[in-house]
Amino acid sequence: MNKDKATPGVARAPGPSVADTLATDSRGAPQPLLDQDYEFLGDQDIDCSRYTSPRFAEQEFDRLWARCWQWACREEHLQDVGDHYVYDIGPYSVIVVRSAPDCIEAFVNSCAHRATRILGGEGSGYTGQFTCPFHGWSWGLDGSLKNVPARWDFPHVCADTHSLQRVHCDTWGGFVFVNLDPDARPLADYLDVLPEHFKHFPLDRRRIRLHVQKVLPCNWKAAQEAFMEAYHNFETHDSPTGANAQYDVFGKYVSRFIHNIGNYSAQALDDYPGNKWREPPLSENEILQILSAFGLDHDEVPPGETARSVAAEDLRRRLSESLGVDLSLVSDTVMLDSIEYHLFPNMFFFAGITVPMAYRFRPNGMDVDSAIFDFLILEPLAEGESHPEPPEPARLEIEQSYTEVEALGWLAPVYDEDTGNLALQQQGLKSSRKRGITLGNYQEARIRRVHQTMDEFMEIDDE
Amino acid sequence: MSNREFTRVAEAEQLQQGKTMRVELEGREVLLCRTAEGVFAVDNLCTHGAARLCEGKLKGHRILCPMHGAAFDVRDGSALTRPAVRALASHAVRIEGADILIAFSD
Repeated sequence: MNKDKATPGVARAPGPSVADTLATDSRGAPQPLLDQDYEFLGDQDIDCSRYTSPRFAEQEFDRLWARCWQWACREEHLQDVGDHYVYDIGPYSVIVVRSAPDCIEAFVNSCAHRATRILGGEGSGYTGQFTCPFHGWSWGLDGSLKNVPARWDFPHVCADTHSLQRVHCDTWGGFVFVNLDPDARPLADYLDVLPEHFKHFPLDRRRIRLHVQKVLPCNWKAAQEAFMEAYHNFETHDSPTGANAQYDVFGKYVSRFIHNIGNYSAQALDDYPGNKWREPPLSENEILQILSAFGLDHDEVPPGETARSVAAEDLRRRLSESLGVDLSLVSDTVMLDSIEYHLFPNMFFFAGITVPMAYRFRPNGMDVDSAIFDFLILEPLAEGESHPEPPEPARLEIEQSYTEVEALGWLAPVYDEDTGNLALQQQGLKSSRKRGITLGNYQEARIRRVHQTMDEFMEIDDE
Repeated sequence: MSNREFTRVAEAEQLQQGKTMRVELEGREVLLCRTAEGVFAVDNLCTHGAARLCEGKLKGHRILCPMHGAAFDVRDGSALTRPAVRALASHAVRIEGADILIAFSD
């Protein structure tokens, strides 16, 4: 047992850090990736009931989901006037619509007559007006009341009182966000450092290449927390990388990890079980072999080079050609690394070329024990190219494997591994005699930050 | 099936991928749709409110009605979302050289 009572949160994995790696890369990293921002946030256990209690989940719907900004869809879902997207979160449903060429608006998906949902299931659609399927009341795309059949019977109804109920809506990075709180603060306040940090990586100039939506057998927080640290890589993925990842918490709403791909710290594995990857450490050629899943030109590292520099250069060349974009000046870290930003409460945006995802985790309906995981691969748009029509999501149920989505390729088994522990964790959260989960001070600080911000929304005072 | 008569209704190059085209055959309106999977033909009038689907939008393999937003699968005409519950008639399509031919299924 480590009885070290040194200042909590100060300790780091032994060996080279992410900053050390970035400093020796073949090209300089964008400034935001050189910034580090961490402070010790506490080391108290997080109560298991937050993941298992239906009452806590109900409070989340009332106090969190009804009050936070959340991404509903991409702007590319709403290219033409009349294009709309239905976004469901727990008991709530929102219609996002392009109501005019330069205007996206959002409304509660509920008829002003007898509250029927106007549009059915979640996803994209198109219409010239909104019409309730029950009695045929209709509204314009701007939500204004248009027609009431048997108008003579409703002298007490007018556009002022019976237009669709407006929901706050804004955009960033090609994502459309909604907030159900009528008194919501602006999205810009909430995004914090994200716009600045993504200046070098404009997400609005990317298109959805693949969207996979899977139901996961655990609470939405447990699901997303499986993706907030790279500490699990050794055991879950049988991978040498991740033990020296960098974690940053930029405030209440935004956090990040940078997990180097294409090199690792053997010293960081010092107290991991066995001698794997430590004695002897992997050679550069062996590391390149691991990276070959990306599709590289080289199968050997030339003298004077590293696996990381070779892989980054091979990918620059190959992806510049296949994507029609100039990647010649892109840094090694942006080419290769898993650079994952989290936006409270449930959204992830990656600033990487080879690891180009966006994630969203949310409750599956009202069920505390299952979650919906939306997984998007975002591909750069070629210069001057406009967004094509986005693909429909491939939907997977709990028992289905990511390998059923052929387009995922080498990523599929990785996500099966990531999600393979979740049913066990949800079961354990319910049966543990220890009432709370324990978090690492550094590697799992992002998870703690989310819970602390949640406490503010939920008006929970732990002190 | 063998006695269905195919009739030329359009030139294939007039119908781009992701687009639709309204044609008329024997006084009946038909919607041609070209998706990534090929060309399909369904009735042009929504089975719910009889709105013209050619004024709606094709998204993937779904045609969306401009009036109420009902969705139909153009591959077989099936109604995917309310308020439509009845399928569109779906018609056989054949591409011959530069031409699109259809044959009514009913």
